[in-house]
Amino acid sequence: MTTASDPIKSEVIRSALTQVAEEMAAALRRSAYSTNVKTRQDFSCAFFDKNLRPVAQAFTQPVHLGSFVRLIPQAVETYGAGNLAPGDMLVVNDPYSGGSHLNDVTVLGPVHHGDALIGYVASLAHHVDVGGGAPASIGPFREIFQEGIIIPPVKLVRGGEIDDDVFRLILAQIRSKRVTAGDFRAQVAANSTGAKRMSELFDTHGSAEMQAHIDGVIEYTSRRALANIAKLPNGRYEAEGFVDFDGFSDEVVNLQLAITISDDSVLFDMTGCDPQRRAPVNSSYAMTFAACAYTLRALMDADMPVNEGFYRHIQLIAPEGTVVNARHPAPIVGGWETQVRLNDLMFKALSISMPDEVAAGCKAMMAQAGFGVIDPRNGEYHCNYEALAGGYGARSDKDGPDAVQQHGQNTENAPVEEIETHFPMRISRLSLIENSEGPGEYRGGLGLRRDYHFPEVPATFTVLSDRDHAGPHGLFGGEEGRKAYYILNPDGGTSDLRELTSKCVVDVAAGDTVSFQTPGGGGYGPPERRDPENVLKDVLNGKISTLRARDIYKVAVDTDAGAIDEAETRQLRSAQ
Amino acid sequence: MSRRFRIGVDIGGTFTDGTLIDAVTGEVRTSKVLTTPDDPSRGFISAVERLASQDIDRSETDRLVHATTVATNAIIEGKTVPTAFITTHGFRDMLEIARQIRPSLYDLQFEKPEPLVPRRLCFEVSERLAADGSVVEELDEGSVRSVATEIASQGISSVAVCLLHSYRNPDHERRVGEILAEELPGVSVSLSSSVVPEFREYFRASTTVINAGVRPIVGKYLETIESRLSAADLDRDLLVMQSNGGVYPSAAATDSPVFMVESGPAAGSVAAAAIGSALGHRDVISFDMGGTTAKASLIRDGRPSITKDYTVGGTAQSGAGAFGGASGYPVRTPVVDLVEVGAGGGSIGWVDSGGALRVGPHSAGASPGPACYGLGGKEPTITDANLVLGRLDPEFFAGGEIKLDVDAARNAIEKHCASKLGVTVERAALGIIEIATAAMVNALRLVSVQRGHDPRDFVMMGFGGAGPAHAVRIAEEIGVDRVLIPLEPGTASAMGLLSTDIRLESTTTVIERTDSVDASALEEAFLRMEKNGSQQLAGAATAASDNAFERWLEMRYYGQSFELSIPAAEGAIDTNALAQIVSSFHTAHEQAYGFRVDDEPVEIVNLRSTAVGRIQNPKMRELPADEGDAGAAIKRTRQVYFQESEGFVETPVFDRSLIPPDSSFSGPAVIEENDCTTIVPADWEVETDTFGNLLITRAGSTARSQA
Repeated sequence: MTTASDPIKSEVIRSALTQVAEEMAAALRRSAYSTNVKTRQDFSCAFFDKNLRPVAQAFTQPVHLGSFVRLIPQAVETYGAGNLAPGDMLVVNDPYSGGSHLNDVTVLGPVHHGDALIGYVASLAHHVDVGGGAPASIGPFREIFQEGIIIPPVKLVRGGEIDDDVFRLILAQIRSKRVTAGDFRAQVAANSTGAKRMSELFDTHGSAEMQAHIDGVIEYTSRRALANIAKLPNGRYEAEGFVDFDGFSDEVVNLQLAITISDDSVLFDMTGCDPQRRAPVNSSYAMTFAACAYTLRALMDADMPVNEGFYRHIQLIAPEGTVVNARHPAPIVGGWETQVRLNDLMFKALSISMPDEVAAGCKAMMAQAGFGVIDPRNGEYHCNYEALAGGYGARSDKDGPDAVQQHGQNTENAPVEEIETHFPMRISRLSLIENSEGPGEYRGGLGLRRDYHFPEVPATFTVLSDRDHAGPHGLFGGEEGRKAYYILNPDGGTSDLRELTSKCVVDVAAGDTVSFQTPGGGGYGPPERRDPENVLKDVLNGKISTLRARDIYKVAVDTDAGAIDEAETRQLRSAQ
Repeated sequence: MSRRFRIGVDIGGTFTDGTLIDAVTGEVRTSKVLTTPDDPSRGFISAVERLASQDIDRSETDRLVHATTVATNAIIEGKTVPTAFITTHGFRDMLEIARQIRPSLYDLQFEKPEPLVPRRLCFEVSERLAADGSVVEELDEGSVRSVATEIASQGISSVAVCLLHSYRNPDHERRVGEILAEELPGVSVSLSSSVVPEFREYFRASTTVINAGVRPIVGKYLETIESRLSAADLDRDLLVMQSNGGVYPSAAATDSPVFMVESGPAAGSVAAAAIGSALGHRDVISFDMGGTTAKASLIRDGRPSITKDYTVGGTAQSGAGAFGGASGYPVRTPVVDLVEVGAGGGSIGWVDSGGALRVGPHSAGASPGPACYGLGGKEPTITDANLVLGRLDPEFFAGGEIKLDVDAARNAIEKHCASKLGVTVERAALGIIEIATAAMVNALRLVSVQRGHDPRDFVMMGFGGAGPAHAVRIAEEIGVDRVLIPLEPGTASAMGLLSTDIRLESTTTVIERTDSVDASALEEAFLRMEKNGSQQLAGAATAASDNAFERWLEMRYYGQSFELSIPAAEGAIDTNALAQIVSSFHTAHEQAYGFRVDDEPVEIVNLRSTAVGRIQNPKMRELPADEGDAGAAIKRTRQVYFQESEGFVETPVFDRSLIPPDSSFSGPAVIEENDCTTIVPADWEVETDTFGNLLITRAGSTARSQA
């Protein structure tokens, strides 16, 4: 039996490769400084072979992993593989060098076994601030130059040591220097861990054998991907939709896509999406690719590995100069809003032939909130960044979960007690939004409300989100979820009550509160077909009102008895 | 003066194991009865009755130690008592929102775990503290009383209270507790500031709610056990194994049952630590493999490693990544740091759609069982693979009680694996073993390498019904040179119960930088916890021979979120001692993550105090000297397939009970005993010690930790 066709050894080595990426992730998470990385897990780690093929990744944020696939090869090719010695690492965040938005900073380095190059380790972390026009480096700007420091592939680590000149130059652009420096060190530590472990694996199994097995793992994945694609229903599936607000103009950003499934391939065609904007909603090619990768992977077996053998089956047409493949110097920071909406539209397109596999409309916006405050005690500039959950779309046989992350995004919330310990502010409310679900036979999940209160110190608050106009779509008679709201001082404060847009930077006075309210998920099937017992349960739990139960679900609830009024419900439903 | 006998009872899924030790002679007796899930106390008492037979004077029984899954089962099976949750105004949905993440990244059909308390039983009271513990809004007692009225109308028997920042200032929570006691007499109240006073509200709330949800169940259960013991003339101190590997008195267990959710698995690690220490091995990798899972944990300097990053009721497994825990409920109590993988004797081998051979996580369990049991199982398991490879004796399984059907095992492997892979049955069987080995190696790596420890510095102890058959092969993979197979490996866990101290944990959150904290304030905080601990230990005075206190500081670089536990040296904490602790932190950080930043401020997050009531460990009994030769213990030879030789090798089969102490022989060898088989490949040497333990050493190795 040849090495590469030994399925047993391949499985053993595949586990070990994944383990290396997981060990990198653990090292990064545990030694990082920013709440966004250490607690919210807004980072990813991966190993690429010497031919720059993605081989193993830690299961963290799919959006990152999909974009890695483009970024790592481009960064190495631009810098020149021959210019990287053992112990060197590059840093890069330039969307026009294969990256995504500037906050996502990647550190990557070669791995050697003896003198021979065997591959690359990479870690990407969403940095809480990378400079630019607003704290947390999110906000509506006209050009990429306003969004923060742009880092082409440059050497940050030489022979295992961080290059102090480069590091200081980068940190000088950044508001939250101490935290950012800590996150960079954690990325370097994660890569060192990965490189060491990978080299040990090559020691254990021998170089030739490892190379053969890496090929084997990729081919195995490719075979499984094809077996999965063969099971998908052939056809061309289309959907249209839009991003609600580009940050400046009144015109929605139109999106159009078609997915063509054949026996052995899947083509994502984005032709018809709007031209790029001088506004932050532009997605880079790598980001759009990540959306396609997420969709395809979600339709496959749960235990499918994700590596080159999977990614090679994604075919993407994304015309240059559009919001799905922007050209320099278009701003990118809000491109994730476009990117994640594409996922929602893809599942909508596929719902015709895969009604039991997909979900109705989800939050489908990144729901990013940032703020900057200068600590009056010591003058230190603190930045916070987080992304909030929302309602998940309903499925053909179950409700959409309340307040949860969706699609390529799976970041945690920052504990209130942790945020309040780090920053001179308070979270005054964190709750589900009652009556925000998209009604349906199976209902969408409830949206989330998080109120940021600044009792003593003024702050700059940034919102980079969407869903100003419409909530997530329903499917097959299910209805739309509640849209998003961004409100200054909903219950009073120093400044007047005011509705904010989904993409803004506001100066808040001491005593003000910003209320961030994410959408509810879309419903599935007509609401008047919902099992009255489930309606009752929602009413008793205070998730929907009796009025809503009656008007929309046609169920009469006797709240005193805590029971359904059967007779009246029959009457309500028969009137349909 | 303590009495002679100690009894340990470990209730598992299938069997209830009992162990009795005679502290005078060192004699050990074991018993095994079927677990009685409808009322586990019946199985408990019958295991005890079998141990304490006629020749035992019951008045000479010192105490009983118990490991139980009663708390865990209630959580996993959703049978916790209806519980109400009370929190700060604005945060009613804390439990439902949880960590806002999905347990699996690509599954569009996922479900969030049901919140432990339905929303209609989650209530808010008006009050607010700031992060430094200062009062922003006074507690509105009227709001507490009206919540109490609502709770009373719902017939709720247990309440959990978690107010924001109560870890810093428990006053409001305590007052809520007092009011509830007045308004709701007889209702059990768990306050987060008492159960686990640590920051990060959801984790503290989840821990407190779990405590509240199992408290009436555990209380009733322990009461039943105690009354049965009393009826059996065994009215002695009952101690319960905690998740951290220490025991606590049943009264403390009744109060804080959340500390015992990993009671059972912890016993295995404790056994490995105790047996290892008794033999002079202070650094041990514990490998406990049973019918459905294998558990790995690390013992450093004679003590199991402890973690607080733990979830209960989830589907987390090795390789599930960082989100595996999102399918369960976090518990922030100290738990023995173990990784459990779905690879046990009953785990099933199969071929996936990409043509790869896989093992588990499905298990044939005891029913239908492996194909070779002939009880209706059709799918090939690890046990079937071992049988085909000659590693198990079809005539001598479970001491000859079960006859194994080799043809059935071969057929199952042929049909489900070999034919699909286009390989021989033996090759497929070996594949099943090697893939399971890979999963177990990963588990061992997680507890060792990933925590910054080199497995080569450790002795591995293999036990549990299937542990001895796989231990040496796994040791080979991770570079361990010495494997210890203890006496009675199948029931070693129950031994752990009789070899552990009383350990009462308490924590205080401080969140102070070491460059500005007042060392004497830390000393005072420790003294407060220790005073409290002394009082609790006094309540269990008969059990402990002497008391001690351990001090830990949970520290990080200012700005990080994960703490490392740094032990404080003996003596009062002053400026010098603090400097020493900071220096230990830098070193520990470098060991864990590969870097240190000496000029970065260091922050103390929690002070952790452990009150230890030391218990004299039972002595191991030396076997009578025997000049005999190990060769005399060879029952026969048989063909056994070894990976290293890529084929069957004529291998001697030893009867373990006949191997004399202090003897040695070389692999390849098979060593059989009643409930276990140990497999020794070529290039490994076997030695027995004076107690009858097997020490299996890689030929030509120089054991590093012995140096």
